Amino acid sequence: MSEKQRKRYWMSLRQRDDAGAYMEAAGDEFSEVPDPAEKGLDRRGFLKAAGFSFGGMLVAGCTRAPVHKAIPFLVQPEDVVPGRATWYASTCGACPAGCGLLVKNRDGRPIKLEGNPDHPLSRGGLCAVGQASILGLYDSHRLRHPVQGGKQTDWAGVDKAITARLDAVRKQGGAVRFLSGTIASPTAARVIGAFLASFEDARHITYEPLSCSAILDAHARTHGVRVLPHYRFDRARLIVAFEADFLGTWISPVEFTAGYRAGRQPEGDPAAFSEHVQFESRYSLTGGKADKRYCIAPEAVRPILYRLAVRVAALAGMPAPGAGAGGESAIPVAEVDGLAERLWEARGRSLVVCGSQEIATQVLCNFINHALGNYGRTLELATPSQQNRADDAALQALLKELAGGRVRALLVHGVNPVLDLPGGEAVAKAIAAVPLVISFAARMDETARHAHFVCPDHHYLESWGDAEPVRGIVSFFQPVIAPLGETRALVESLAVWSGTPRGARELLAETWPDQAFRERTLHDGYAVVQREAVPAGAFRAGEIEPVRAVCAGDDALTLALYAKVGMFDGRHAYNPWLHELPDPVTKAVWDNYACLSPGAAQRLGVAQGDVVRIQPAGDEAAPAIELPVLVQPGQHDDLVAVALGYGAAETARFGHVGPTWLHDRPTVGPNGLVGTNAAPLLMFAGGTLRRCGRRVRLVPTGRRHVLALTQEHHTITVPQRLAPEGGLRRENIRETTLAALRANAASRPHAAAHERRDDLWPDDHPYTGHHWGMVIDLTACTGCGACVIACQVENNIPVVGKDEVRRNREMHWMRIDRYYSDTGATPDMVHQPMMCQQCDHAPCETVCPVLATVHSEEGLNQQVYNRCVGTRYCSNNCPYKVRRFNWFNYPRNDVLENMTLNPDVTVRSRGVMEKCSFCVQRIQEAKFEARRRGVALADGDIRPACQQSCPAGAIVFGDLNDPKSRLSRLIAGGRHYRVLEELNVRPTVGYLRVVRNRPQTEDHVDHG
Amino acid sequence: MRNRIVTIVLAVGLLFSLGALLAGHHGMRLPGNQQGYAPRQPIAFSHRLHAGELQISCFYCHYAAQTSRHAGIPAASICMNCHRFVTAPLGAIRAEDEQAKQEKRKPRRVVSAEIQKIYDALALDADLKPIPGKARVPIAWIKVHNLPDFVYFDHRAHITAGVACQRCHGAVETMERVFQVESLAMGWCVNCHRKVNAIGVGGRRVHAPTDCATCHY
Repeated sequence: MSEKQRKRYWMSLRQRDDAGAYMEAAGDEFSEVPDPAEKGLDRRGFLKAAGFSFGGMLVAGCTRAPVHKAIPFLVQPEDVVPGRATWYASTCGACPAGCGLLVKNRDGRPIKLEGNPDHPLSRGGLCAVGQASILGLYDSHRLRHPVQGGKQTDWAGVDKAITARLDAVRKQGGAVRFLSGTIASPTAARVIGAFLASFEDARHITYEPLSCSAILDAHARTHGVRVLPHYRFDRARLIVAFEADFLGTWISPVEFTAGYRAGRQPEGDPAAFSEHVQFESRYSLTGGKADKRYCIAPEAVRPILYRLAVRVAALAGMPAPGAGAGGESAIPVAEVDGLAERLWEARGRSLVVCGSQEIATQVLCNFINHALGNYGRTLELATPSQQNRADDAALQALLKELAGGRVRALLVHGVNPVLDLPGGEAVAKAIAAVPLVISFAARMDETARHAHFVCPDHHYLESWGDAEPVRGIVSFFQPVIAPLGETRALVESLAVWSGTPRGARELLAETWPDQAFRERTLHDGYAVVQREAVPAGAFRAGEIEPVRAVCAGDDALTLALYAKVGMFDGRHAYNPWLHELPDPVTKAVWDNYACLSPGAAQRLGVAQGDVVRIQPAGDEAAPAIELPVLVQPGQHDDLVAVALGYGAAETARFGHVGPTWLHDRPTVGPNGLVGTNAAPLLMFAGGTLRRCGRRVRLVPTGRRHVLALTQEHHTITVPQRLAPEGGLRRENIRETTLAALRANAASRPHAAAHERRDDLWPDDHPYTGHHWGMVIDLTACTGCGACVIACQVENNIPVVGKDEVRRNREMHWMRIDRYYSDTGATPDMVHQPMMCQQCDHAPCETVCPVLATVHSEEGLNQQVYNRCVGTRYCSNNCPYKVRRFNWFNYPRNDVLENMTLNPDVTVRSRGVMEKCSFCVQRIQEAKFEARRRGVALADGDIRPACQQSCPAGAIVFGDLNDPKSRLSRLIAGGRHYRVLEELNVRPTVGYLRVVRNRPQTEDHVDHG
Repeated sequence: MRNRIVTIVLAVGLLFSLGALLAGHHGMRLPGNQQGYAPRQPIAFSHRLHAGELQISCFYCHYAAQTSRHAGIPAASICMNCHRFVTAPLGAIRAEDEQAKQEKRKPRRVVSAEIQKIYDALALDADLKPIPGKARVPIAWIKVHNLPDFVYFDHRAHITAGVACQRCHGAVETMERVFQVESLAMGWCVNCHRKVNAIGVGGRRVHAPTDCATCHY
């Protein structure tokens, strides 16, 4: 295979364009990115620092060993055994998707959230946001008391005042508006309804910063019911997605990832492997998984959909929808027609989804799905999703009412309109003018500051509740800890103000009167109940509005506001874990930025890090924002993409996250916040809140802003000059196509055992007991980062702050390498989770001068913190660059936040090396427990945190010595390979190659 | 000047090493080794009486030892299972009965000073009635057996393997006040692990791993 034919993989544009300089820089693991603003340490400074450290050491050394107290309970609670975890089934409340949870409680406090494997929607996965939401419980900035007029008060006083003022509104017949995010809880919906029913003019308005209002409106038009269909990616053989990041941030990503994965099994018999075509303008995580990705301008979605609709209608013998909806297709018409034919072949088993906020575009999407007979099969309308119930038209009407001063009382729950609506200032002014504003915010957010009363709701782990994310699938919330402050559940507050005070649990029991049902649901974590089907009317496409003419030729760009996988819509902006999670695509942390394609950046004459002013074109009075540029390959040239959810006031607290030392620099930007709020650039148009489509002009400001990107950190590409003599250089990523895989499987059975080569080291580890190993299926992995956060929670990994990340010093034990490859029109993207490979011949072990890293008899590469003296030789010698050095004692000053620390894992101190341990605490626990119960350890008993949380089930841990284990079977299958196998370090972590459903001839295929 | 500093540094170093040398020879211990530690407890609980004389199983009070990493310090409610009825030594109760008989009155309930402390913690009076307005204060026992930092020890694994409590804790049933018998140093742990791998525990073959990650993670 000549070099020319080989598919080239690259991690960053710098690596692709200037490999020599890149490799030179990458050779030094501990190099720091030089910062011209940084001065060296002078002699006096050094002496001061040295003197202080010496003095500190003396003081620390002189303390006596402390007396430890053991304080037991006075009255022993049932089922509480110190040192043993208790698990409760609950529901994730981090977003309205409502995934099933298992909450791990230790000594009365929740410490870890895991997916409930029995839950019919999430199937055991949990996303990064869900994993991290436990930190919200222990957030010391949460409100602990009701607040009246900016002053802390008590519930009795608040209730008296609010009841009196609501009574006055009731008597006058004034307008009462309840503004909330999606409420998927039947109990909350019932209580809100009962509360509002006592007023003459009361309405409940739902909105979401990531609104799907257009989909609901489109269904109201085509099917007569304003619902969001329940998408079944698991049943689709052909998935065509337009601007929908359904594996990352769209509606219910965990559920969709699990379904998507279920429909893409290359090894099944018969193999069921769906085909996925993605049309998108920015590069999303979902686009990275696509078998065919078209990079189009956002305006091109409707013409392509229209063309598809016309072709599908012709094939179905139906009249074409509307007239004049055409426009020029951005991609060759023949390809669209071919896609229409493939859709028609897969009718009833195909799915077209669209993330557009234009109702007309969504109507076209509905038309196609209807013509293909997908309704009732891959889209369920009878049991619709209730995970996004945004109603932008109602929101717009409310804003008009607010501006007109008509609203007498406004109640705000779960949303922050001042921050996440366009014209936040005006909204704030209008809200401030309402005579009675009640907020249920947990923190003093931008909207709560304008409220007369803030009645903080519980964190979802503190309260009773229910959720019905999809009609007929019910799950309960149960409190796993007593409320940490004087907070009160929303439903309790409303019940009090309605004059019928009741506890949340009683209200739950009123909704679900059958006690046996309640107990079963609490036990299982979910229940499937019979609900009458939503009566959908006959399909009616109606007239489709013509496409708005795009003012081509000007130098403006189209703006796309999107949600990052970690930040979601910004409701968890208080959460440092999510800020420090590298974005799956850009690999940036602690910032939002203006993504430009390399072409666009060149055209505008800006480089990465240049701050640009984003000004709505043709409207100089409109608000503008300033953001640094990030150059993103694979994005459309006519697009600038900006993440929402940044610039929240509560991020001001991150000024001093991370270690304090001579050269530390704040994590927040010049505005004192993390990122910049992009919501002012949202706009209302055509009855929906548009995130995409605004034309903007980019003006360089001449300033620069340093972005912290992890994409080039810890590279494992072996420089050509260091490649083993005569050795075969293999790519870290290996890809194949479905056709090639099947042809291969038929013609040549894969050799089960990997070749063993001669080596220097004696075989002194016979692995007579267990031999732990892992396999990661790169076909399944979407790169969503759930595992990274799960690992962080499980293993007490500190947050280091933006400046430390910029210096290559992030502490995540697990990283997800993102590779591009440059075949075809747009680069492909592959994600590769990388953690300690637990090598059988670990190069780190041989260089440690103090034996702080040694091999165990079960194949684990152990890191012993109290032996480590911090030479960093091991890290230097690690070919996978997975070891992390504690440069500091990372601050853990927030005592409440420390409640999330896992008591089974050491909190490492400064100067020691650390790395993935295969969650050895879980291995030990499972072994001890099996021995105690007198049973053998079964395959699947041990699941590391990363495996547990993976929504795609991409990670499999097991015993290599057990030929029947799932792990062994996957290794024996045809797709297994090891990264940097040519180095002969014998990693026990392996990967299953990426399979794409493409014609075999399209790309080079590595047969391994 | 410079020479003087060097001399002082060397002298301090020499003294320190001599000290360490002497410590090794004269039963003195290295920092962190608390062998022989016998702190005074808030209640003068006698293991000799309960575990020795009365033969109460260790697991009655240290209920978690078989199922968890921690053995568990009993809650006051566990003490009260017996001390609801057993309020004082038999001798004291008999003496009160005798005296009551002589004074021709009903005998008073005798509560020993130490057992009274349990009642105080639970805010109960001598007749086990809650004292209104009095807060319940947990009993703050002093931990005797402290493992060094960065060590995870699991009671459950050792008890499942058949290791007697006394193997590590000494003959607690003979101690009026518990003290630390063994050094609990890593060498001591590893020696035992090696030994039982060779000879087993109570005639049963066991596998006691000596991997670092057995205890350190």
